[in-house]
Formats: sequence, structure tokens, C-alpha cells
Amino acid sequence: MIRVDDVTALYRDRAALRDVSLRVDSGERVAIIGPNGAGKSTLLRVIAGLLRPVTGTVELGGERVDRLDRMVVARRLAVVPQLPVLPFATTVEEVVALGRLPHEHPVRGMRPADRAAVAAAIERVGVGHLLGRDARELSLGERQLVLLAMAVAQAAPVLVLDEPTVHLDLRHQVEVMELVEDLNTRDGTTILAVLHDLGLAAHFFPRLILLDRGRVVADGPPAEVLAPERIREVFGVDPAFVRLRP
Amino acid sequence: MNPFASFRMPRTASGRKRGRNRGRSLGLLSPLALLLVLAACTGAAATPAPTITPTPTAVATAAPTATPAPAFPVTITDDEGTTVAVAAEPQRIVSLTPAATETLFAIGAGDRVAAKVEDISPFPPEADGLPVVATYQGVDIEQIVSLKADLVIAGGLGFTPPAAVAQLRSLGIPVIVLYAESVDEALAGIDAVGLASGRAEAASALTTAMRTEFDRLAALVQSSPRPLTFYEIDATSEIYTVPAGSLYDELLRLAGADPITTDASYQISLEKLITANPAVILLGDGGYTTPADVAARPNWSGIKAVVDGNIFPVNDTLITRPGPRLVDGLRALIAALHPEVQL
Amino acid sequence: MVAASGLLLLAIALVAGIAAGSVAIAPTDTLGILARRVLGLELAPTWTVAAETIVMDLRLPRVLTAMVVGGGLAVAGAAFQGLLRNPLADPYVLGTASGAALGAAIAVLIPVRALILQFGLLHALAFIGALGAVFVVYRLSRVGSSAPMTSLLLTGYAVSSLLAAGLAMAMYLSGTGLRQIFAYLLGGFEAATWGRLAVAAPLILVAGLVILLRARSLNGMLLGEEAAAHLGIDVRRERALLLTMASLATAAAVAISGLIGFVGLVAPHVVRLLVGPNARLVLPLAALLGASLMVGADLLARLLGEIPVGVVTAVVGAPFFLALLRRAHSGYEL
Repeated sequence: MIRVDDVTALYRDRAALRDVSLRVDSGERVAIIGPNGAGKSTLLRVIAGLLRPVTGTVELGGERVDRLDRMVVARRLAVVPQLPVLPFATTVEEVVALGRLPHEHPVRGMRPADRAAVAAAIERVGVGHLLGRDARELSLGERQLVLLAMAVAQAAPVLVLDEPTVHLDLRHQVEVMELVEDLNTRDGTTILAVLHDLGLAAHFFPRLILLDRGRVVADGPPAEVLAPERIREVFGVDPAFVRLRP
Repeated sequence: MNPFASFRMPRTASGRKRGRNRGRSLGLLSPLALLLVLAACTGAAATPAPTITPTPTAVATAAPTATPAPAFPVTITDDEGTTVAVAAEPQRIVSLTPAATETLFAIGAGDRVAAKVEDISPFPPEADGLPVVATYQGVDIEQIVSLKADLVIAGGLGFTPPAAVAQLRSLGIPVIVLYAESVDEALAGIDAVGLASGRAEAASALTTAMRTEFDRLAALVQSSPRPLTFYEIDATSEIYTVPAGSLYDELLRLAGADPITTDASYQISLEKLITANPAVILLGDGGYTTPADVAARPNWSGIKAVVDGNIFPVNDTLITRPGPRLVDGLRALIAALHPEVQL
Repeated sequence: MVAASGLLLLAIALVAGIAAGSVAIAPTDTLGILARRVLGLELAPTWTVAAETIVMDLRLPRVLTAMVVGGGLAVAGAAFQGLLRNPLADPYVLGTASGAALGAAIAVLIPVRALILQFGLLHALAFIGALGAVFVVYRLSRVGSSAPMTSLLLTGYAVSSLLAAGLAMAMYLSGTGLRQIFAYLLGGFEAATWGRLAVAAPLILVAGLVILLRARSLNGMLLGEEAAAHLGIDVRRERALLLTMASLATAAAVAISGLIGFVGLVAPHVVRLLVGPNARLVLPLAALLGASLMVGADLLARLLGEIPVGVVTAVVGAPFFLALLRRAHSGYEL
């Protein structure tokens, strides 16, 4: 599904990724971890085709992402965006509906199928109680859920999340992770998530990719990637801080 | 309507024409000066733009016959170089400059004037009752159409908004745009109004008489001493005086003055004025400024004219309105500058 | 429902705009003239030729010009607000106004008088100035910027200030032309003719239509450029296209009518207050509202003795806008 070959990419004229290669197959659930500045977000941008690598190629569904029309990319890969400042009053429903942008009629807008997808996404993420509210008045956590609902409504085979739980309390963190797991196991959506919380990553993801200073330093099941000596080396902390599922 | 009508500047316009009246317009920047501008532009006094000036080329294409019956159609090249055809003797003339209003009445076409521009120094009294279809704010095109105007005489250099002129022409109404920056141009303008209104002979008689009178008056002061003269247009905030080569300048010279002139901005600095040290100050703004006001101005007390008490108000309207009373303007200047001369 | 009200509003504005003027023409005659000349009905004229000229050649082109300009500015304003993601943006935000003003002022300084298709040098230079200013702003803002929209806004501000200085200088040098420049700056429709409308209207209508058809892109930008890209919008291409079209519509509007403020800012906000931020609704409704507001403002300007339309839109628009903000404080903020 996703194939990254020998990618070197710059972020502000600095090499943020060096010779990164990886494959994510359809139906996988993968978390990308690593310390700040490791290149995690850059990797997501490269995969989504927003950042063109200096060398190397990125393929999405067997085609090079930089040669695909943006609309085609958006139908193959949905990204939960960072929290934006909305310029105008916008209801939660209107935000979620933006997820149908790649599918709706370019001029006339949403069709019945689109409306149904929006309703389903709202139901599934559990933001129905927020519907009529201005998205700008919500708490950070609520907004994060709304944006997740938008990405779910986009109904792409790949869902990419960048720190989807930073603003959430513990209960919501777990709920979001369970939802992501459910989307993966029940709907077959390929999941690619950048996570800071190694505990959540290890608990909910069967495969972790560890980045450090722009390179992939480990790729595999949590127990293997999060070996104590590696945690000490890469994150510079006592491995006791990271609790892994036995 | 002719969308391709072209406006060439007349030969005589030579660039400097465009600078005319700059000072007054800049006066907009101060409230009092704004009033002046209103006065100036709508009225007589300053009739800035209405300077009608025909390019000296008012040419009738119709064969000039000696018979009294005026030959229509006539074609006139106005001061902007536009060729304007007047098909038949106009019966409902709209005058958009105070000078044209005066001219039309002076040459016996007054009974055919249907409407006029607002005039803060109205003349002649016979024109008082005419509907006003233009003010400083703009031209009421609808009224002009509804009066079925068949000739409009407008002011150049922006006195009549160019957009209004274009619009009237696009409705098929002949518009002659006139302005004057010299005595010759003023007289040519009067002739042009005469030609367009079917009173060419009366206009010609008028301009011939005016020219004779100009020559006679000028001859009276030809050998008199020429006092260095400052003609004050306005000094409410900035000081405005006559630009070199303007109608003002020419009239002052004809009246036996040696005028202090400035550039097309109309502005002059107090420093330059004090350095020039005029022997006479003429107050074109005498309507609201007295010689005592001038003497009381800070830093003016050392000027020769102030010391000698040679400060005289003159009727600005007569001097700046290029109509039939322009000779009266020259007469007024001579009376102020050379009281010893018998007019 | 809202659309129907908008159309009704526009129809009322149209009729009122044609019925009123400095010369009184009976409403029945006005309708008769329109029926005969526009609808082609065989009516025996009960009116004068002058009345027919006034209605057909003065008022109708004037009202239609106001409509096209008002609608165009409203759509351009909505597009700029959406693109720049800034509720305070208006059609003039990227320097169109100051560019047009400087162009017009320079035209007044040039002693050449030529009319092509009823357009003088003033209109041509105003149009070129408006587009030129946006082009310069766009080019300058692209130099190594990570936040292109913010950079665009700030560059627009800087370039506008520079052009304003040029305008001040041109006005200082303009002499008799100052009045003409002043009249242009205040804006108005009294010089409207069929010929001018025929040149400007297609530009504004086509640009407006293109923007209308790109409503999806504007919707995508609601969440920012990065999110828009994730939603399938080719941000660079769409931004360039929308900026070009909005600037084109603004430049054409400004060239025929001068600088008229507030309509382009207020109309989109009023519509968003009613129907939310979906550009598919906002754009066409803002066009209707902008057109109606502009005709209304022009009508008011005429009834008050040909005062400049720009003064009317500002005097009516500013308090209205403030009231709107206060009233809607709970649900709608800038």
C-alpha cells in the first residue's frame, strides 16, 4: 500500500529524513515513534505527497504519489490534520462534512451518499452531541475528535494520524485508540500514526517504526523495537518509564 | 455615439495648460480653501476651469456665406481637439461654464439657453431664473436629457467632469469643451460659442470690439512704470499666485504690471515672495481678505507694498472669467495699478 | 429560501434603482419603457423620448453596472477572505485599491486624452494598476516563506502603503486633475454607459463564475492549506487561480466604478451569518447581496444629490457591520 524507497527529505534546508525505506501493507496498523526532531512528521508529509523528497520515491497503491492528482491521493489516504484556527464560525457538522470533499460533486457538493458517510462518521467517533456548535468554541480535545471524525468521513483506505491524542484525557486517549483499532480490524483501514506515548503505541500497535535523527533505527513488534537499551540510547531515559504490555 | 471619439490636445495647449488652476485644487486640502474652491469652480470668481478657450481653430466647414442666415450644420473643433458637429441651430443650449452663460447672453442667444451651471457670482441677471443642472459636485445628466438639450458648452481641464462630457456625447448631444489660457484663446472661445449657437456674426462683432478695447487699454499704460506686482489668489493656508504664461499673467502685463509669477502649481513660498519684495499687492481674494489683514500677517510687514500701503482688492471674477467682461477685468486692473490713467 | 429572498431583494433594488432619479418619471412610464424596450412588447408610448433615453441609456446601464460591480466585489471579497483565511480581508487587501488609485492618478497627470471603447486612460491605468499591484504582492510574498498567506497579507499591506505614498505624490502634482482623482477615489456609477458595461461586465462575470465553480477549493482552505492539500486540493494551483480571478474581478470593478469600500467586506459576512461558511452557498448569495447593496447605495447616493457612492457604503456599511457584530456575538465572531 505504502512504499518508501531511499527517501532523503529536507525540512528547512536540513536533512530531516536520510535514506528512509519502509513498506506498509494494506490492512496494517503501524505507529511511528521517536524523539522530537526525529523526522516523524516529515515522514508523514512525504508519504502524503506534501513534501517532495530530495532523493528516493514514495508510492501509494503502486503509483508514485508525486505523480498522482491531489484528489486521487485524498481518496486513498486521509490525514487527521493539526488543529487549525478557523477563520469563520463553522459548525461541527460543517467541519466533518469537509471530509467528503474528495468524493462530493465538484460543483454541486454533497450527494446523499456523502451525507450518509458524514452521519456515520459522527456516530462512530461519538461527536453527535457537539453537532450544532461552533467548532471554535470547543475544547482542544473535542476539536481533535471532530477532526478525527472528518478524516473518518473521508473514508480512505489509509488513515494517517499525527499525534491524535495529545490534547485528550486518558479516557479519550483510550477511546480514540480503540476506535483506530476498530477501524483497522473491522473496516480494514490501514493505519499509520505518529505517537509520542510509547505505552499507547506499544499497547495498540502490533508494529512500531522507530525514527532517530532522520533514520529508521528499528522496525518491528513493540517488544523488539522498544528494547530497554534502545530506549535508553534513543530517548535518553530510564526504560522503566515505558510500561509495556507483557 | 462615437466610441472612438478622440481627444487631442489642441496645438495651443502645449502641456502647461494642464497645470492651470492647480493651486486652487490643492486648496481642497484645507477646509477654508475648500470653500474657495467651491466658490472658484462654481462661480465666477474663480471660474477656474471655465476658462474657455477655444483653440484658435473654430472652423466652420459649411461654406461661409455672407448672408445673415447662419449656415448649419457646422463643425467645430473644440479646445480639446474634438470635432463636434451641430446639425441645426440649437434651441435648447445648456451652459456648463459661467463664462459661456455670459457669452451666450451677450451675443443674443440668451433666450435659447435652457439651463446653466451654478454660478456663485451670477451674471447677467437675465440668467438668474434658469434651472441649474451642474454644480461643483457634478453634472445632472438626466436633467440635461430631459430638457432635450441640443448643445452643451462645457469647461475643459476637468472643470466639467470628463466622464460627464463623454456620457453626454454618447447620448448624441453635441458638447463643446472650452478653456482659455490667454486673451486670444478667450476671444476664440467666444467666437466658437457664437458659431455653435448660430450667432457667429454677433460673436465676431463682440470679439472685434473687445480686441479693439484691449488694444486701446494696453496702449494707455504702455509707457507707464511697471510696478513689481504680487497678485494674491488665496493665502488662507498656502500662498497661491499666478503661473507664468497664464491668462492672469497676460492680463497683468497688459495692465502695466510686472507680475511675480510661479509655476503651474500656483503655489509660491513666502520666502520667495519676501525676496521678490513686490511694490504692489492685488487681492484677487478681496472678497474675504482686506489690506489690513495682509498687513497684519506675520512676516509680511517688511514687504514694500505693505510698507507703502499699496494693497488693492480687485474683482477676481472679471479677470478669470474668459467671457465678454474680460475687458472690464483689464480695466479694473489698470484702475488699481495706475490710478493716474484716464480710462 | 435564502436564495429566493436574495433574488427578491435584487429585483426590488433593480426596480427602485430604475424608478428613481433627478428627473421624475411616472412608475407606469418606467415600466412601460422597460416592457417595450427590454421585453419587446408593442406598447404605444405615453412617455417622451427624453424619458426613454433617461431610463434606457442612463438609469438601466447605471443600475446594471452597480449590480455587476457589487456582485463582483462581494464574490471577490468572499474569495479573498477564504483564501487568506482572514475575516478582515476585502477585495482591496492585496493592493488592488491602491494600485488602481495610483494608476488613475498617473493617468490624470498624463496629458493625453483618448477614448477606446468609451474607456479613457484613467480606466485603463486603474485596471493595470490594480492587477499590477496584486502581481507584485504575489511575487514578493513568495520569497522563502513558510506561511504564504500571512506573508501575502503583510506584503499586501507593505505594497499598499508604498503605493499610497505614490498616490499622495501624484495628487500633489495633479493640479486641476485633483478633483478628478478625488472623484475616482470616492467611486460612483454616474458615468456608466452601455459601452463600458459591455467591456467590464464579461470580465467580472467570467471571473465570478470561475470562483463560484471553485467553491470546493475555498471550502478546503477553511482548515488551512495543509489540511486543504490532504483533502485533495492542489493548493498552489487553486490559490493562484482564485487570486487571479478575484483580482481580475476586483480590477475590472474598480476600473469602471472607482474605489467603493465595505460591500466586498460586509456582504460575505452577512451571508455567512445566515448560512454558514460553505462557499457553495456563500459565493452566490454574497453576489446577490452585494449587487443589491450596491444598487441600494447608488440609489441613496442619487437621492441625496449625487454624493459619492463610496461615502454611502461607508456611512451605512460601518455602523451596520458594527451592529451585526454586537448582535451576533454569541454565534458569530470575527
